[in-house]
Amino acid sequence: MAEAGSALYFIITLFAASIRMAVPLTLAGLGETFSERSGVLNIGLEGIMLSGAFFSFMAAFITQNILIGVIFGCLGGLLISMIHAFMSFKYYVNQTIVGIALNFFSLGLTSFLFLAYFGRTTTVPQCPVVKPIKIPLLSDIPIVGDVLFNQDIFVYFTVFACFVSYIILYKTVWGTNIDSIGEHPKAADTVGLNVKRTRYITAIINGCLGGLGGAYLTLAMLGFFMENITSGKGFIALVVVILGRRHPFGVLFAALLVGAAEALQYRLQTLGLGLPSQVFIMLPYVVTVIVLLFSIGKSGDPAALGISYKRSSR
Amino acid sequence: MPDLQMKDIFKEFPGVIANDNVSLTVEKGEIHALLGENGAGKTTLMNILYGIYTKDSGIITWKGEEVSFKSPRDAIESGIGMVHQHFMLVPTLSVAQNITLGLKNKGYPFYNKKKVIKEIAELSKKYGLLVDPDELISRLSVGARQRVEILKSLYRNAELLILDEPTAVLTPQETDNFFTILKKLKNEGHSVIIITHRIPEVMKITDKVTILKDGKNVATVNTSETNENELSNYMIGRSLKTFPTRKKTNVSEEYGLVLEQVGFNNKKSKKLTDISFKVKKGEIFGIAGVDGNGQKELAEVISGISKINSGTILIAGKNITKASFKTRKKAGLAYITDDRHNEGLVLDMDVSENMILKDYDQEPFSKNCIINYNVVRKETEQRIKDYNIKTPGIKTPIRLLSGGNQQKAIIARELAAGPSVVLACQPTRGLDIGATEFVRQTLIDKRNENLCILLISADLEEIVSICDRIAVIFEGRIVGIINNGADLNLNKIGLMMAGHSGETVNS
Repeated sequence: MAEAGSALYFIITLFAASIRMAVPLTLAGLGETFSERSGVLNIGLEGIMLSGAFFSFMAAFITQNILIGVIFGCLGGLLISMIHAFMSFKYYVNQTIVGIALNFFSLGLTSFLFLAYFGRTTTVPQCPVVKPIKIPLLSDIPIVGDVLFNQDIFVYFTVFACFVSYIILYKTVWGTNIDSIGEHPKAADTVGLNVKRTRYITAIINGCLGGLGGAYLTLAMLGFFMENITSGKGFIALVVVILGRRHPFGVLFAALLVGAAEALQYRLQTLGLGLPSQVFIMLPYVVTVIVLLFSIGKSGDPAALGISYKRSSR
Repeated sequence: MPDLQMKDIFKEFPGVIANDNVSLTVEKGEIHALLGENGAGKTTLMNILYGIYTKDSGIITWKGEEVSFKSPRDAIESGIGMVHQHFMLVPTLSVAQNITLGLKNKGYPFYNKKKVIKEIAELSKKYGLLVDPDELISRLSVGARQRVEILKSLYRNAELLILDEPTAVLTPQETDNFFTILKKLKNEGHSVIIITHRIPEVMKITDKVTILKDGKNVATVNTSETNENELSNYMIGRSLKTFPTRKKTNVSEEYGLVLEQVGFNNKKSKKLTDISFKVKKGEIFGIAGVDGNGQKELAEVISGISKINSGTILIAGKNITKASFKTRKKAGLAYITDDRHNEGLVLDMDVSENMILKDYDQEPFSKNCIINYNVVRKETEQRIKDYNIKTPGIKTPIRLLSGGNQQKAIIARELAAGPSVVLACQPTRGLDIGATEFVRQTLIDKRNENLCILLISADLEEIVSICDRIAVIFEGRIVGIINNGADLNLNKIGLMMAGHSGETVNS
C-alpha cells in the first residue's frame, strides 16, 4: 500500500514537474513561432531568455515585487529581440549571424552586470517566487487536480497564450497576413501589407514571450540568478518550434515531451542508480535529437525564412 | 475624357534611362497594348503607375485627377490592379485567402469565409474565371493562377487592369480562354493594358497599341489601322524574319542522342517518368510544353547535372548514363543552359575567361597547368568576330554585356569544341528579337551541318518555326511525338500540352 502510494506520488510530481519544465520552452517557442511564420529566424532566443531571466530577477530582487519582475523580464527579452530586428530589417545583416552574436552578447552582458552589482558572494541572492494557485473545485479532482490545477500563474498563462496564439494564427486575417509575409513577402507588399511593420510586431511578441520564458526560471522555478542560467533552453525552444511545426499546440506538446525528459532526469539522479549524473543531464538533449531525427524532411519552412525583405530598386 | 493619362514620364536607374518622357493614354473600356522589346521600358512604366517605382518627372492623371501613387496599396484603392509576370500569390494559402489578402472585410480580424466565397463565386461566374476558392495555390496550374490574379484585382474593384506578359505561360487553348475573359472585362467597362512583345496577339485582341523602344515612345496606333509588318517596323526597326522552310536534307538514320526509359525522381524537383526518344543527326528535335513540366530536369539529366534513377542515355552511340559532365562534353555534348547568370557564365569574370570555362585545362589554352593567355586572347577575339558579340573589350566583366551578347558568348563557347549533339534549353528566353533570331539561325545552321539538336522551349512559336519533330512534355512524361510539317495541328499540340495524350486527341 505504501509502495503504491509512493509510486503514485512519484507519477504526480513527475507530471506536474514536466509541465513546469515545459513552460519556459513553450513561451519562448510560441514567440519564435510568430517570428518564424513571418519569415524571421531568430537564433538569439537563448539570449532573449537569458536577458529576460536576468532583468526579471534584478527587478524582483530590488523591488521585492514579482509583477515588476515579470514586466522587466519581458523588457529584457524585448531588448535582445529589438536589436535583432533592427539589425536585420534596417541594415539587412544576416539574421543567423546576428542571432548568434546576440546569444554571446546576452551571456556576457548578464554575467557582467550580475557580477558588477553583487560582487563575488558566497550567499546566493534570492528574489521572491510565485506561489501555486489552487483552482477551487478543479484542484480537488484526484491526480489530475494536482497535476493541472495546482500550478503557478505562469502555467495557466502559458496554456492561455497557446489558445490565443492558435486563434490569431489560424482564425484571423492577422495570421494569414503573417503567413503570407513569411512565404512571399513581395506578394504581401503588392497588396499593401506592411512587411517590415508586421515583422517588427512579431519580433516584439517574440521578445516579450521569450523574456517571460526566461523570467519563469528565476521568478518561479529557482528564485535566484546565476551565470548562464538558461544553459541552452533557448536552443531547445528552437527545436521545439520545429518539432511542433510552428503550430501553437504542436509547440506545447513538443515542449511537454522535452519537459518530461528533463523532469525525469532530475528524478533519476536522485534514485541512486550508480551512474554518473551527467548521463541523466544528457537525457533531455538526447530526446531532442532523437525526436528531431524522426521529423526530418517534414518541417516545410516558410519560403522566406531568414531572408530580409528589400523592395528592390530594380 | 481619357481614363488614364501618363504624360512625359521620366525615370532613370543608375546608368540607364528606363523611361525617357514616355506618354500613354488609355480610354475607358479599351484594351491597350504596350508593345516593345525586352528592356524597352514597358514594365518600368507600369510599375511607376502602380506605385512600385516613383517617377523622376512627369504627370499621371487618373479619371481626371492628378495622382502619384506611393505604393501599390494607393493604386489598388484608386481602382488600378496589376497582374505581374511572376505571379504575386502565396502558394501555401488558399485561393480565397490570396484574393482577400491584405483586405479588411466585415468582421476583421476574423474571417468571414462564407461571404468571401460567395463573392468570389459571383465574380467568377460574371467573368468566366473558373476557380475553386478553397484550393491551395500550390496545386493550381499556371492558367488557373492567372485567373486567381485577375480575380484578385477585380475583387478589389479594379477598373483598370495591367497585365504583364499574360500569355507567356499559357497553352494555346488557355490563351484563347484568356482572350474571351479580356473581352468580357472590356464589355463590363474595364480598361486593360497588356504589356507584350507578341505582335500577333496585339492584332488579335487589342483596340490600340503604344509602341516603346529604348525607353522612348515610337508610335501609338489603332489596331484596326495597322498590320503586323508595320508594328514590327515600329518595334525593331524592320520586319520580322521568317525562317526558310526546313529543307529535308541529309537527315541520316544515325542517332546522335538517345534516351531510353529515363526515370528521374528526387524530392526537390519534378519527376521524370519513362522518357524515351531518339534524335537523329541533322535534325532539330523540339520539346514543347508549359513551363515547369520537367523541362529543366530533362536538360539536367542529359547534361549530367543530375543523375537518373533508371534508363539509359546515349550520346553519339556512347553510353553516358553514369558519366560525369566532363565525359559527356568529351563525347560531343554542348549545353546551352536556360539560366545564363547562374549556370552559363561567371558574371564577374571577363569575356575571355568565360570563353574558356570549359577548356581552360586543355591545350592549346593551357600547358602544364599554366594558362597561355595569348592563345586565350586570340581565340576570344576570333569568337567575338565570328559571333558578332558586342563588348567593349575582351577584359570586360561579362556581367556588363546585354543578355543577347551574353547568350552569344555561351553559344560561341559551347560550339567551339565541335560538338555532335547540342542541348539547348530555353535558349532565347529573355532575349531581344535580334538576338533571338540569331540564336535560332545558329541552331538551324548547325542542324544543316549535320549536328543533332535538342531544343527545349516553352515558346511554342519557336518550336514550330525551327523544329523537325516535336515531342510534348507534361508532368514529366512525353505525351506524344509528332512530325512538324505543313499539316501540323497546333490545336492538337495545345491539348497535349494540357496533358491529353496524342492518341486521345486523334480520336
